[in-house]
Amino acid sequence: MDPFALLALPKRPLLSEEEIGATYRKLAGESHPDQSGGDAARFRELSEAAAILRDPSRRLRMLSISPGGSLLPPEAAQLFPRIATILQQADNLIEKQATAFNALAKAVLAAPLKNLRHDLESTLHQLQEWRTSLDRELTEIDLRWPEHDPDAISLLADSYAYAGRWESQLRERMLSLDCI
Amino acid sequence: MIAGIDLGTTNSLIGVYESGFPTLLADSEGKRLIPSVVFYPENGAPLVGREGLRMQALHPERTVASVKRLIGRRFGEDETKDLAGPKGSPVTIPINGEDLYPVEVSAEILKKLKAIAEDRLGTAVDRAVITVPAYFNDAQRAATRKAGELAGFAVERILSEPTAAALAYGLDRLQENARVAVYDLGGGTFDLSILRLDNGVFQVLSTHGDTRLGGDDLDEAIAGLLLREAEITTLSTEITPEMKVRLKEAARAAKELLSNEESTFVRLPFMKGSKSHEISLTRAQVEKVCEPIIAKTRAHCLRALEDAGLKAEELDQIILVGGSTRMPLVQRLAAEIFGKQPNLSQHPDEAVALGAVLQGAILEGNLQNVALLDVTPLSLGIETFGGLMNVIIPRNTTIPAKAGEMFTNAVAGQSGMKIIVLQGERELATDNWTLGSFEIPFPPSPKGAARVGVQFSIDADGILQVLARDTSTRSEKIVEIQSAVEVSDEAVEAMLAGSLEHAFEDMDARVFTEARLKAEEMLPAVEAALAQLGSELLESEVLEIQGKSSEVQAALESKETVRLKQALAALDNATQTLATKLLEKAMG
Repeated sequence: MDPFALLALPKRPLLSEEEIGATYRKLAGESHPDQSGGDAARFRELSEAAAILRDPSRRLRMLSISPGGSLLPPEAAQLFPRIATILQQADNLIEKQATAFNALAKAVLAAPLKNLRHDLESTLHQLQEWRTSLDRELTEIDLRWPEHDPDAISLLADSYAYAGRWESQLRERMLSLDCI
Repeated sequence: MIAGIDLGTTNSLIGVYESGFPTLLADSEGKRLIPSVVFYPENGAPLVGREGLRMQALHPERTVASVKRLIGRRFGEDETKDLAGPKGSPVTIPINGEDLYPVEVSAEILKKLKAIAEDRLGTAVDRAVITVPAYFNDAQRAATRKAGELAGFAVERILSEPTAAALAYGLDRLQENARVAVYDLGGGTFDLSILRLDNGVFQVLSTHGDTRLGGDDLDEAIAGLLLREAEITTLSTEITPEMKVRLKEAARAAKELLSNEESTFVRLPFMKGSKSHEISLTRAQVEKVCEPIIAKTRAHCLRALEDAGLKAEELDQIILVGGSTRMPLVQRLAAEIFGKQPNLSQHPDEAVALGAVLQGAILEGNLQNVALLDVTPLSLGIETFGGLMNVIIPRNTTIPAKAGEMFTNAVAGQSGMKIIVLQGERELATDNWTLGSFEIPFPPSPKGAARVGVQFSIDADGILQVLARDTSTRSEKIVEIQSAVEVSDEAVEAMLAGSLEHAFEDMDARVFTEARLKAEEMLPAVEAALAQLGSELLESEVLEIQGKSSEVQAALESKETVRLKQALAALDNATQTLATKLLEKAMG
């Protein structure tokens, strides 16, 4: 399956979410099985294609396969210990807060929770900075396209995968804090 | 002709698409809103709707209301706490010495709606689109479909309620391109769905909700308030089921009145005791008890936004539907969560039913260039080695959808694999809902040699089908996920016999352990807090706390459950000021 061709989008690194969404909705709307002349198999393929293209990491892997296999991006190696620690702390505290059974037990947790929020925010900020630099690199690669270095693309794809997963994990913890 | 049905917790509606318009149909009394209440007389056919409602206060033991909260559920879940039965088996309701399944009760409501439609239209109505809360799981959806079939319908689609409401809202605005949130707080369930409307395509981006949160809970809370205000101290066991029904009726009436008035009088002439109770109730009092319940919707709204990848300010409209959104408090809270005045243009009771009618029209080809792209609300996966959930189709995947994975044998000589199908968002398999399980046999083979492909497909109703394929023998097996409603009677009886024996024996031990754990956490926390802030308390307060702490310690050693629980409550009470000071300090 070529997701670019399916959605009639140009086969290049930089595609906007809005562009993907608009063409997906148009084509998926026409092929939805409820429509006369609808086609369930094509509908599912379109949904899958849109999901791939919306994710910069999966999109890049569709464009180029590096023969070298994947490496841990240096920024990810540097961030990993901090992320792992903070996620564990967050899960611990949120679990404690959820099972705190009275005012004192909750009050005891207030100070650590406040620190946790601060740590989460600053780590998220750091991740977002990393992501911005990845976006810049993506734009540069797109400018030179179709000329490209498969290793650089592969590394960028991996970097997006780490950044995206960690960001959603941290945001999930932030949400849990907001919902307390 | 395809009818559209909103099968609600409190009320249900039916409509059809007639000469280019969706029309809701009224019963013989001219009412479109049919109470979802079924009364079972000792002899003869059940009475449904307004007739059922009239009998409820007289014969609560033979009346079923809010059956939607039980459909597709099993004994042992929170929702079924008032009903006794073997944990894990499909829930039943005892009526006239018979055990009724919720599907059967729902089918009676659907039969009534069918009769109303056929009476109004003078023709057979045997195809239907039925709505369910977006957050209904596979078992609840399958059970609703089964109820429709039992009522004599060909069920053409199970449709999510907020999606239906969005369709009713968006039909007049097909040219628009907008992001909308539908906040649907009904009689028993809450859903929040975020959609993108784009030239006739309604794409659900995310959905979140709670299938146990609605107007019913508000009525309960207000009923409790009425009892306190009337200073009715009779033990709850002395309140008969009849009184309970009337009390809830009074609470609901007061709630509805106070949506428009600032205060009201509630009379409770039916309660025991010499005096007749007359209570004055203000909107502020009612809002105070309802606020914590409605506040629970906030977390779902935030999570749906996160899943849609949107910020509240990026939404163009917040559409409120569901009867409970008539409360000014709900409207205020929705405005506060999204930072925007909600859109009240949709009829709170009718929007979902109208949307169901419109979906019927789409399916019949009467409404062209309109398409609904809905999602599955909960992740689907299987239990893997180590008791973890392996997600195969993540939540908010557009349906219909298909996905699969290959599995291999972990042990040499293994001659089969057990596949446990799960639905939910938790990491641990046991924290999720088990939809079913099945065995795939294969010839004994060396480790890693057997290969089994498992494919999940979700149809447009959001209902799952699992296909397992042994790739070495090419034998295929389509697995019907056995939903909660379809377990055989013998299986139920076997489970009943097994579980009752063990149900109570470890009860007291467990309660003591829970209390002990609390105490072991509490005592050092109190000590630390006193060390930090004791100087800011009065000496008498410090002494009081120390006294209560020693009593907890003593109760711990005595191993008496009741004593420990009381001591903990007393310590909890004594440390309120300390807790406040600690909180203030932390917040700086």
